[in-house]
Amino acid sequence: MADTITDKPPKPAWSAWVGIIIIVLGVYLTASHGNELMKHAVMDGKASVEIEGFQHDCPEDELKEEGISLAMCRQATFNTDSVLLSRPDWFRTSQLILMSFGTVLAFSSIFVGVGLVEYRLWAPMAATVVIGGLLAIDVVNFFTVVYAGPIIRQLYLWIILMWFFIHGVLLAAIMAGIHEDKNTSVGNEQG
Amino acid sequence: MKKGFTRSAVLMHWVLAVSIIFLFISSWWMLALPYNEYRVFPFQLHKNIGITLFALLALLLIVRLRNKPAPIKSTAYTPWMHKLALFSHIALYVLIFLVCLSGYLSSSFSGWSTTLWWLVELPNWGWEDDELNELFSEIHLWACWALLGVIILHMAGAVYHAFRRDGVVDRMIHLD
Repeated sequence: MADTITDKPPKPAWSAWVGIIIIVLGVYLTASHGNELMKHAVMDGKASVEIEGFQHDCPEDELKEEGISLAMCRQATFNTDSVLLSRPDWFRTSQLILMSFGTVLAFSSIFVGVGLVEYRLWAPMAATVVIGGLLAIDVVNFFTVVYAGPIIRQLYLWIILMWFFIHGVLLAAIMAGIHEDKNTSVGNEQG
Repeated sequence: MKKGFTRSAVLMHWVLAVSIIFLFISSWWMLALPYNEYRVFPFQLHKNIGITLFALLALLLIVRLRNKPAPIKSTAYTPWMHKLALFSHIALYVLIFLVCLSGYLSSSFSGWSTTLWWLVELPNWGWEDDELNELFSEIHLWACWALLGVIILHMAGAVYHAFRRDGVVDRMIHLD
């Protein structure tokens, strides 16, 4: 391109497009998995119905400051209760492990995306490994949530399924790009 | 003059990006928590990341001003595009500073102390004052929504340049 700031030979279109999508999604997924990790780390106690003589703590000044009603404040306790009461004992540990790996892989995917945009030699293979890893986490998490009961399923399953589709499509795009590059290089050698 | 940004500027940019999105998501979740011990860690972490962001952004600004990348000499962009890019960058810096500052001041006037990364006790610039706490809290909230809007604009621009493969995005991802 004559009007660009670079004078390098053009890079394949697929790597730039897939790379930037991986960067954008990687930033979001790192934050998202990091938050899930924090949620499960923090929520480690008894539900209100399991505490004898439990009383809702809804200070008037806090309600006014955050602009919520007393009913909404009580509902916040029920919301955490629904997770605490419906998750099996093993669920929290499984989420802590999966989300830790997920956060690390998602953060790595940003740099893999950078490598793809720059079209580094290592980038397509690294992208296959990292996106494949994230896809594997989605699959394991899918079955974890499926076996965790209806309330957890209702909360998490659709999000996991969405990321599964996104990572599946990205992995297919990366593999298609790798094959295209191989065909191009074979074509160039024969030509 | 370097073609792209320096490696430290690039790294800081991506750490800032992840941290800001993390803070958005965590704030939506933690404000829906009941008023019990569950709130302590997320709120402290929120403040810690926010204060660190403030320092990191100041550092990024210094690095960016000391190592200016080569200007984009492209005929493909109209003057309004350059103006929009300039506006969005200035707005990003101003809004991130405003969000961090208003959050810290709101906390200062709430009466709650802040211990940076559970190590350093920070001075409370304010006293316990509900009205000022609410005022800075409102500024924090609306500045956050404005920041989210500018971030979407910034990301749309980045994706636009990446799809055009014009080299603009390459400046912010060079790790050499």
